[in-house]
Amino acid sequence: MNIAEIRNLSMSIYSGKGVPALILDDLNFHIREGEILGLIGNSGSGKSMTAMTIAGLLPESAQVTSGSIEIDGKDVLKLSAGERRKLLGEEIGMIFQDPMTALDPLETVGKNLDEILRIRNIPKEERKSRIISMLETVGFIEPERIYRSYPHQISGGQRQRVLIAGAALLKPKLLIADEPTSSLDTVTTVSILKLLKDICIEMHMTILFISHDLSVVNNFCDRVMVMKDGKIIDSDNTEDILHNPKNAFTAELLTKAKLDPRSLGLEFSEVDPSGSPVLKVMDIATAYRDGFFGRQRAKNTIEGICFDLYPGEVMGLIGSSGCGKTTLAKTICGLLKPTGGNIDHCSGKVGVVFQDPVSCLNPMHTIRWHLNEPLVAAGIKLTKEEREKKILEAIKAVGLEEKHLSRYPGRLSGGQRQRAAIAMCLILEPSVIIADEPFSSLDASTAASILKLLSKINRERKTSILLISHNLRVVRTMCRRVLVMSRGHVVEEGMTEEVLKSPKASATKALIDAERQLS
Amino acid sequence: MRTSLQKKTRIYMAVGFSLLAVILVAFVISLTHLYVYDPNSTNAAAKLLPPSSDHLFGTDNLGRDVFARCMEASKYTLLVSFCGVFIAFVLGTLLGMPAGYFGGITDKFIMLISNSVMCFPGILLALVAVAVFGPSLFNVVWALGLVFAPTFARVYRTGVIGLSSKEYILHAKVLKVNPMRIMLLHIFPNLVPQLLPAVVIGLANMTLFESGMSYLGLGVQPPHASYGKMLADAQSYMTMAPWLIVFPALLLVIYVLGLYFLSEAARLSFGGERR
Repeated sequence: MNIAEIRNLSMSIYSGKGVPALILDDLNFHIREGEILGLIGNSGSGKSMTAMTIAGLLPESAQVTSGSIEIDGKDVLKLSAGERRKLLGEEIGMIFQDPMTALDPLETVGKNLDEILRIRNIPKEERKSRIISMLETVGFIEPERIYRSYPHQISGGQRQRVLIAGAALLKPKLLIADEPTSSLDTVTTVSILKLLKDICIEMHMTILFISHDLSVVNNFCDRVMVMKDGKIIDSDNTEDILHNPKNAFTAELLTKAKLDPRSLGLEFSEVDPSGSPVLKVMDIATAYRDGFFGRQRAKNTIEGICFDLYPGEVMGLIGSSGCGKTTLAKTICGLLKPTGGNIDHCSGKVGVVFQDPVSCLNPMHTIRWHLNEPLVAAGIKLTKEEREKKILEAIKAVGLEEKHLSRYPGRLSGGQRQRAAIAMCLILEPSVIIADEPFSSLDASTAASILKLLSKINRERKTSILLISHNLRVVRTMCRRVLVMSRGHVVEEGMTEEVLKSPKASATKALIDAERQLS
Repeated sequence: MRTSLQKKTRIYMAVGFSLLAVILVAFVISLTHLYVYDPNSTNAAAKLLPPSSDHLFGTDNLGRDVFARCMEASKYTLLVSFCGVFIAFVLGTLLGMPAGYFGGITDKFIMLISNSVMCFPGILLALVAVAVFGPSLFNVVWALGLVFAPTFARVYRTGVIGLSSKEYILHAKVLKVNPMRIMLLHIFPNLVPQLLPAVVIGLANMTLFESGMSYLGLGVQPPHASYGKMLADAQSYMTMAPWLIVFPALLLVIYVLGLYFLSEAARLSFGGERR
């Protein structure tokens, strides 16, 4: 039986006086009872908007122009606002991407979840017992403690579990999960996917699973639909989609998701390990300041880290979230002062590319201003023409055009912003680029193109790259050597192939296990 | 749908009242010198006349035209509130930005000063300052500026702390951009949406403070007109000549209300939607 039937659904967004933009174009699909349906597509393909339309959470500027959405036999679009609100929660549950912002930070987890039941007039004792048992269902060993904790006291993966518990509390028939794992590391992703699957079977739920990442649908979804430009262009069971794609776009997505160096045309610079290194990190330790007047020092977040980076080398730094990767990156580029040890930049410059393409550029300034700023900061004196020439060179090197220079970041896509951020690094001709999870918030196609760009920079300019990632596939394709971090220490290091083939540390094994389960 | 209606009404009200306030300001500035009556010239033959076509708002106990005096009062109110907010804004910038940016001891020290100023009732502090240094327009302006500075410092500090964790600010720090430059060019433009409503609210509060001080005789000094002083003087004639209280009070309310709605409009136009 089908739990949801979507017929000829079209939706447009009206902005100002211009022509309305067609976001969803004649969608036709159904969701069978008890299945997990994957909805895959690049950013901007309309997959989130499909979910929002089904849940009735569209922004005011959006208008459904045609079609019908039937859930459990009722046409959702014909219901009144009140009836729809009732439907959401009782029949449809939702989980969003960002577990940081979905919980009220001022209330305990228990209070956050309690509200869902309170507005439905359920007596107090029953509410608490239901929440505790649901927290147990989503895999917490001490549900009472989690019930009393505040959102900031638990980790990202735990928060996502809490959100799943919240969505499942009312036992909805359909659970819409909009990129629930995109901000989690591989190990946590695997556990969350397993949880969703268990809940799906245990509570007879149906899941619509939205993701930009084809690698997570394997072993998880029963069927997969691929979206592009507001249309569903491919739909099949998971096996066939992954191993025998009929549509050219799906096939392309698959190869890009695999990050195969040969098909992407990646080629990296030769490394001479006998030469002098461009970056020497000697036994550094870093702690965050804590306490009144910042006098007390907390325990060291990272400790005893040593490595050398050679010219042209791409080195990977892997580990699950919270292991100190970003702290190490911040220490190397000078944002945090090490409490011990020494960092030698060997007279070269260090550039950084951060994770989030949204906040990596200042929304109030143009791209030209952004590229000029490093020159000003470094005190490089140039004439107007020389400056303009350098800026043009940098922007062309990252594959953007002159017209992008006068634009504000808000008018660029995620991939273009990440390119602009790389251009900002390149303009000072650094000898080392530290890339902190540069791909994790980009979809497969964009990530592949940024990867290609980084390999080109590495090959042509002999720039060394320290790549921080929790994605083993990226590290395997890009990096010659790899460091594995766990709890603030480097637990394993060596040539990438050797480390990943015969891992010694338990942290490495956990990462490899998680990756194997995904692909 | 309901929320959208509320939002629309809010916008209409905001636009309407701010227009009213703006018109009021324009009328004051353009007409003070053109109006037939001098705000300070007395006329013993025309005491406490009710509103008429000759004297639009009537006359007071010394035969001065209330309409002319209202215009002059508006002029001084504008002068005091704009200069005061300017001083408060500059001081707030100098205190709040470094406090938020550097954090640590700098932050603790600056916020200690600003909190100590804040924990006194503002009007009391301004009154003490004026009582000590003597009542004059200049003293009122800087005293009010000083009293209001911590409010701006707080807005700045919170904004800067919020932005400091943004990656573009981290990147600027990695590039070793001069802290002054980061604060003024990287951070400041991003704070405008929060600062603009604060400035407009500051203008409204400053107007009320100035009226309060003038009411107590420590603000704008006679013979110059001021809303507070006019209301204080009118008290004794309240039953005989209610127009002496009604018109200045009405103008003051419209002006302050207009400013509050203007700040709401500023907030809405930057997409702020917190309630």
